[in-house]
Amino acid sequence: MAAPELIRVRLEPLGRLLEVERGAPLRDLLFAYGVEFPCGGHGRCRKCRVRLLEGRLPLTADEEKILSAEEIAAGWRLACRARAVEEITLEIGQWELAILADDSAIAFTPRSGYGVAVDVGTTTLVAQLLDLATGHVLGVRSALNPQTVFGADVMSRVQAALSPEGLERLSSLIRDAIGGLIAELAASVQVEIGEVVLVGNTVMHHLFCAIDPEPLSHYPFRPSEEGLKNYRAHELGWELPGDPLVQFLPCLGGFVGSDILAGILATGLEEAEALCGLLDLGTNGEIVFGNRDGILCASTAAGPAFEGGRISMGMRAATGAIVEASLRNGSLEFHVLGGGRPRGICGSGLVDVVAAGLELGRIAPSGRFTDASRAWPLLDPVVLLQRDVRELQLAKGAVAAGVRLLLGSLAPAKPERIWLAGAFGNYVDRASARRIGLIEAPLERISPAGNTALLGAKIALLRTTAGERDFSALRRKVRHVPLADHPDFEEIYVESMLFPPA
Amino acid sequence: MADLNKLYQAILTGDQKTAVAVTEEALAEKIDPQVLINQAMIPAMNEAGAKFECEEYFVPELLLAARAMKASLALLRPLLAERGAEPVGRVVIGTVKGDLHDIGKNLVASMLEGGGFEVHDLGADVPAEKFVAAVREKNPHLVCMSALLTVTMPAMRTTIQALKEAGVRDQVKVMVGGAPVTPDYAREIGADGYADNASSAVKKARELLAA
Repeated sequence: MAAPELIRVRLEPLGRLLEVERGAPLRDLLFAYGVEFPCGGHGRCRKCRVRLLEGRLPLTADEEKILSAEEIAAGWRLACRARAVEEITLEIGQWELAILADDSAIAFTPRSGYGVAVDVGTTTLVAQLLDLATGHVLGVRSALNPQTVFGADVMSRVQAALSPEGLERLSSLIRDAIGGLIAELAASVQVEIGEVVLVGNTVMHHLFCAIDPEPLSHYPFRPSEEGLKNYRAHELGWELPGDPLVQFLPCLGGFVGSDILAGILATGLEEAEALCGLLDLGTNGEIVFGNRDGILCASTAAGPAFEGGRISMGMRAATGAIVEASLRNGSLEFHVLGGGRPRGICGSGLVDVVAAGLELGRIAPSGRFTDASRAWPLLDPVVLLQRDVRELQLAKGAVAAGVRLLLGSLAPAKPERIWLAGAFGNYVDRASARRIGLIEAPLERISPAGNTALLGAKIALLRTTAGERDFSALRRKVRHVPLADHPDFEEIYVESMLFPPA
Repeated sequence: MADLNKLYQAILTGDQKTAVAVTEEALAEKIDPQVLINQAMIPAMNEAGAKFECEEYFVPELLLAARAMKASLALLRPLLAERGAEPVGRVVIGTVKGDLHDIGKNLVASMLEGGGFEVHDLGADVPAEKFVAAVREKNPHLVCMSALLTVTMPAMRTTIQALKEAGVRDQVKVMVGGAPVTPDYAREIGADGYADNASSAVKKARELLAA
């Protein structure tokens, strides 16, 4: 097979040059740079608009429908629909506008200076440089979390940190990587950074701050320290002009960290009148329900199925992954990332396929293939095995059980809105997620919310001063619920492994 | 007359109500409890285990079958105790310290019970001392340990060590299992056996006791 042909994409106003495979969807490219896709990248909300400054970007039918002729003539396209077929220069609409690519503008008091918001993800690190006077994004850098060599999930990181000198190694790896991103940002625009706000789950918090994660390795899984951590850049080994203040925001309890605190800020859940929910679905599923009167949060060990892990032909949402599947006239149609021959299936594709299998009667509500086979050929050479469905049942059951338990202790237990955070939440088809019983709310109440960790970190940076970032008032409102302690957990978990009947 | 095949089917399909009804009927007719166990309950749980292994059944079905079996067995227990019937073997089982994962261990316990073993379930997050105390008190043939996290797996080694230090290691066989556990790991920490799932755990237990 010929090596994929690479073409260059320049992003303005960052002046960032990227190399991508010809034909690659802009959605995948830009998501890594913190561009948000509020409708989930389904060509509905127009919020991911990009303007073509140079080159050619073929227009899709969806774009013709949703953009006006004037907009199209001016070079506007939807990043969620467009594919890069030749060298282009793009301007990211979101970064020119206010902080939130949302109609509800976030109020903040402009002040002079520059800050960096960092999403310390288990897999990916994203740092955005912001002008605190305007809220504009001046630069973005992202990188793979270098701790990934120790394993994909948080537990493998905890285990690595427990080996001799492990904590020091993991801690310096992550500090160096983030320090590098920030130094690049500072150098690229020649500004002095005054403050840095970091968010991440509890394990990332402990490992960045060099706090012993041992208590997170066993029941009752309580953090050693939960609070806000303040540093001067030099204490982290970062040589930055002006030696800025660096703050890692506080955790909420158990494995639920400041990434979820940020998610609460990003979705406005703590100010909402009606009951709202936030789901961040990864290896650890984080679940939040509440409103301005009080908030419950929990984490649940979903396992890696949503990220394509432990699925026989599972993979991340990368080139060659089946990312979508839909039923048309009784047969399945697939969308393979990057076009080409499929190599595997990612979490969103898996959810679609199982939802379709349930519709077709190919999969029973028990999860069993209804024919005698143990394999379902999808798109050659990708096959779905019976045990892949079982893995999805474990993941889906863990999340649905967590949701049921949290909602069970609230009244009335009908959330008006459920936000889906993170990459999987952004890509997963809501109808399919509903069909498999992952989310049991009416379709119109489920909304993808993009990278709420990064968004919330930006809001924290813009809306609060350094002294307010312990978020004590908000944290008092939040109660962490240890799900496994609940007497009905097993019962509900096992029940939630089943799929809803037709 | 009570239909043993109906009991078998009821357990296999997790129909607790029918399983209890047929068992009550059988007892009223003075059918030997051992016949119910040997001709309906054990075969049904064996079949449920086989279905689990070939992926036809999953956790919910296996758990429902186990519940039906347990409900039925509960009716037989007083009669079995009365006549001093000896179980196939006595088992002490638990999820090790620091680990709260219960479902896999519960399935193993149920399958063992369905296989005719007397099972003492210590629950989850069980410290080594508690395993030692249970061995002294219950005098089991077999100690089963489960761990679902790589970070809690070492507690299996600690527990085996504690059994040795207490001088009771040689009077029991030790079997381990759980998602991150491998046969090599079992050997390395000095366990006698390893089982991959709830169904094979019963086979392995029988093997260990026969050895």
